[in-house]
Amino acid sequence: MMTKVGEVLLLLLLPAFVPHTDGTRYSLPGKPTEIKCRSPEKETFTCWWKPGSDGGLPTTYALYYRKEGSDVVHECPDYHTAGKNSCFFNKNDTVIWVSYNITVVATNALGKTYSDPVDIDVVYIVKPHPPEKLEVTVMKDQGWPFLRVSWEPPRKADTRSGWITLIYELRVKLEEEESEWENHVAGQQKMFNIFSLRSGGTYLIQVRCKPDHGFWSEWSSTSYVKVPECKTSKKCLFSGKSDEVFSALVVSDFPPTTSNYEDLLVEYLEVYVPEQQELMVDEGKDHDGCLKSIGSASDSDSGRGSCDSDNLLMDKSGAAKEEQQQQNQEGDQIGTETQGPKEAWEKETMLCANEDVVSPDASSKKVKTWPSVFSPVTPYSPSPLDPHNSLEMHKQNCLSDTQFPPGSPSSDHCIKKALQSSYWEVCFNNNQPYPQTDVHQQLQAHSDRNISAINDGNVPSNLLLPTRMTEYVEVQRLNEENKVLLHPIPSGHSREKACSWVGHRDNYSKVKGVNSDNVLLLQRDVVEEESMEMAGAAESCYTSSIAINTPKPTTCSHIALPVQEERVLAVSGYVDTATMFSLDT
Amino acid sequence: YILTVSMPLDCKEEPGSLTRCPSISQEKLLDRVIHHAELIYRVSEESCSLFEEMFIPLPLRLQSNQAGFACITKTLPIPSSKSEIEQISDKWLLHSVLMLVQSWIEPLVYLQTTLDRYDNAPEMLVNKTKWVSEKLVSLEQGVVALIKKMLDEGTFTTTYNEQGLFQYDTLPDMLESVMRDYTLLSCFKKDAHKMETFLKLLKCRQADKYNCA
Repeated sequence: MMTKVGEVLLLLLLPAFVPHTDGTRYSLPGKPTEIKCRSPEKETFTCWWKPGSDGGLPTTYALYYRKEGSDVVHECPDYHTAGKNSCFFNKNDTVIWVSYNITVVATNALGKTYSDPVDIDVVYIVKPHPPEKLEVTVMKDQGWPFLRVSWEPPRKADTRSGWITLIYELRVKLEEEESEWENHVAGQQKMFNIFSLRSGGTYLIQVRCKPDHGFWSEWSSTSYVKVPECKTSKKCLFSGKSDEVFSALVVSDFPPTTSNYEDLLVEYLEVYVPEQQELMVDEGKDHDGCLKSIGSASDSDSGRGSCDSDNLLMDKSGAAKEEQQQQNQEGDQIGTETQGPKEAWEKETMLCANEDVVSPDASSKKVKTWPSVFSPVTPYSPSPLDPHNSLEMHKQNCLSDTQFPPGSPSSDHCIKKALQSSYWEVCFNNNQPYPQTDVHQQLQAHSDRNISAINDGNVPSNLLLPTRMTEYVEVQRLNEENKVLLHPIPSGHSREKACSWVGHRDNYSKVKGVNSDNVLLLQRDVVEEESMEMAGAAESCYTSSIAINTPKPTTCSHIALPVQEERVLAVSGYVDTATMFSLDT
Repeated sequence: YILTVSMPLDCKEEPGSLTRCPSISQEKLLDRVIHHAELIYRVSEESCSLFEEMFIPLPLRLQSNQAGFACITKTLPIPSSKSEIEQISDKWLLHSVLMLVQSWIEPLVYLQTTLDRYDNAPEMLVNKTKWVSEKLVSLEQGVVALIKKMLDEGTFTTTYNEQGLFQYDTLPDMLESVMRDYTLLSCFKKDAHKMETFLKLLKCRQADKYNCA
């Protein structure tokens, strides 16, 4: 009794203290704000609020709601389940037919303060829990590893009946300091494949979901997966990171892509004449890159590996190449382990230089090579093999995407893209910035290399292309002697028009392989499949079709050139395909 | 014709806006009710198939045109022929749906309990039946809300839930019991389809009164 009186007295006295100079001011509670409601599965929902100041007094909160069309005011059924300053509406109290009008009231000894009312439509506040059971496995497709990611919807979301429809998004990145997440929208499917992996790399993967009208869930817990290392002479896919184009014909120690990458993806193919010929498709980035040709010593294979191997390149500088490749793969954008561009250059030089060997040597024996499309050249060091290698003059930049501004002075661009592996582009190096127009002339003018093929339909044995310019060459056909005829692409097919190439498939032949006579066989078919997981890189036309070609069944006696295109995860808007060849002997 | 109750603001479509969504539009409400009815129909169809596979021997399986006479709702004053349906007013369309929904709430509860008596009723079947039962209650609320909004009629609860429609006494004969349950499921499936159809017809009429079938 006494305490009660005491309390009452206190309460009565409180207001008197309000303006007191002792500093403590008591006041009405602050307005509760930021009322936020969320439903994880469209069957229940929770609202949280942010208390205002308590006015110096103990304050309690209450939530009241009205349903649309009714004047009946209800109080929150459950303040506890969802924690402090929350109200939980269970299944029975949650309907999607009407909206709720919600108000939170703060009460202290001095009175009440009402929040601003908020209207809620349960269907629009759905934020699901993250997807569950994220599983990632490394799988192989014709020897190339890829990641198969699968997951399940959050337990509580009733997607089975169609009550909620969820779409998913996943993101991947390499476990490296500077790598960034790459996002992929997976639609309603619960499985996704990721290609173009870096061998030996460790990837982090997360997935999240969203209902058709609602919010994205949080990212799921991360899954880690390590891609096994590729061993030499085993089928293996080497690709740079997602944003690098893959190149191919290679084997683990295949080399080189330049380490100096910018956002440009480059690919080029080089073919070497006989002993020292190597088929190479390489990618490099940027004009600074020097893609290499590997002109290394020949092995008995002449650049042709075993039936199953991707050993296109003879790699003599095996280790170096590998290293370099490593570097390249971990190219600027992603790489942390690069040894440094300089070194790469040097190595590249060596490799590049090698190419020269080919050309002069190329005797008219057999055709052989594919025009060495790119004569990668590093400007940094002279080629030991060929002093007057015009290569040194150019850096070859191979751009595989259309974004490269035409005629840009910075480059000698060598754009090459075997997008659908249905055609080859032959790229020439430019000494100087060269607008890519008169290929023809260039070709003809070229003296360093005997790439004559083009205009006269007479493919000389040495198909190396002049290193003077960058241009596209289209393979027209094989002449009687099984020589590759190159045909310069009309200037209309400039880089910017790369997109138009997509439709020109019929003009291109796919390199079928090199037969035992070192003849390059071309085949005209075009195989194309849409890869489902294509990332949408709007800028690049190449995204429009990326195919994974399953190699045709081949026997050793038949030159098969399994061409595989790898889809590169789009990064800065690029998607590119790498073409890989493996020569069977 | 339908009276549309006009409400000041319509909810914005974008999810982020927790704000000003004072009411759900009639159109949106009708869509949700339809979606609800579709789901119910789909799951009821799955349940019926499951039950049939598990417990009904082939020769006894009902064809889609049969069992109409045995359905508990056959006495309800709802339209059954195409011409009837065409002539019925929107108001009666809605009320028919409500009648159907309310008539089935109890039998579905019964079905849940009866499945326990089966030796090996698959869990999926049990779950689905439970799901349908719950959603049906929810659908009733939706239809009531719709009636209120479209017809501006006051709330009224289980007006049509006549007890007499469904009597369930345990039948001694197992086969008979099973057949009755089977009939229930089939009939419900049909009625669920009717509900969905009526609602969609209603929606069609909102858009184009004279061109709906």
